Amino acid sequence: MRHTRIAAAIGIAWFTLNLALIAYATRLGLFLSPTDAMQGNIGRVFFYHVPTSIWALVFPYINFIASVFYLYWRRRDPLKALTADAWALASAEITVVYATICLWTGMLWGRAEWGIWWTWDARLTSMLLLWLLYVSYLMLRKFSSTGQTYTLAAVLSIFAAVDVPIVYESIRLWPTQHPAPVFYGAPGTGLDKSMYPAFNWNILAWGMWGIFLLVFRYTLERRRQASEQDAALAAIEASLEIAQ
Amino acid sequence: MKLAWLFGPTLEQRHLLLVYLSVWLIQGGYFAWLATQWLRTIRNPPSTSGPPSQPSR
Repeated sequence: MRHTRIAAAIGIAWFTLNLALIAYATRLGLFLSPTDAMQGNIGRVFFYHVPTSIWALVFPYINFIASVFYLYWRRRDPLKALTADAWALASAEITVVYATICLWTGMLWGRAEWGIWWTWDARLTSMLLLWLLYVSYLMLRKFSSTGQTYTLAAVLSIFAAVDVPIVYESIRLWPTQHPAPVFYGAPGTGLDKSMYPAFNWNILAWGMWGIFLLVFRYTLERRRQASEQDAALAAIEASLEIAQ
Repeated sequence: MKLAWLFGPTLEQRHLLLVYLSVWLIQGGYFAWLATQWLRTIRNPPSTSGPPSQPSR
């Protein structure tokens, strides 16, 4: 009980601090960072789009690692496997949230900057594929009624993780419509120093928010698993009483 | 800090505002869904009288 209270206090403190950070980072991105000389104010989309996109490529790896552990533990230690599965589910949902934002904000920026909502560019297509893979992962978990649902989902998650490095490298391997890499790109590219505070604070704020959501979703799933186990035990006890 | 430029009529201004608002909406919407699920499990603890439901998620 004491641990629960401490965890709740940490969660509330994290949530409050995180909201303040998001507000501060948003203020930096929208109002205090200098206007992009080439793009004008629409360039401020960068401060939300890029940090969110970076995190959208981090959470799939949590899903991947958790799924590998699930497959390893599912026969050796089913209780540990359930823990891994809860992490996998939570990280898949957060991936979908962040990838949705990445695609949607990118489309809004593209319409303003390129004059088109969408093009089948390597980066856009591979990112859409990533989104579809994690949506199908969640759909599989939601609607599959076989006893192997978790195992199938874990295997799908391993396939889905293959797309992450492809998304990351796509603008280097197949440079077409999407802007060239801002970081670790060609010589002379990069972000102006005056824009780094807004960018860095947004990375931190949205990363912390993703971790908060991840832990929240994980805890919720663990509660669901626990209540399901309680129900299973109660059903077994009830059937034994009938037999007597 | 002047807000007027943010609410301008041009496509760029509308889309910039929409980006920032939709990010809060999507993130806030997901958080609200999680919070609703959390409160539901507190208010309506699952029944322990029947067999376990098929894992749906």
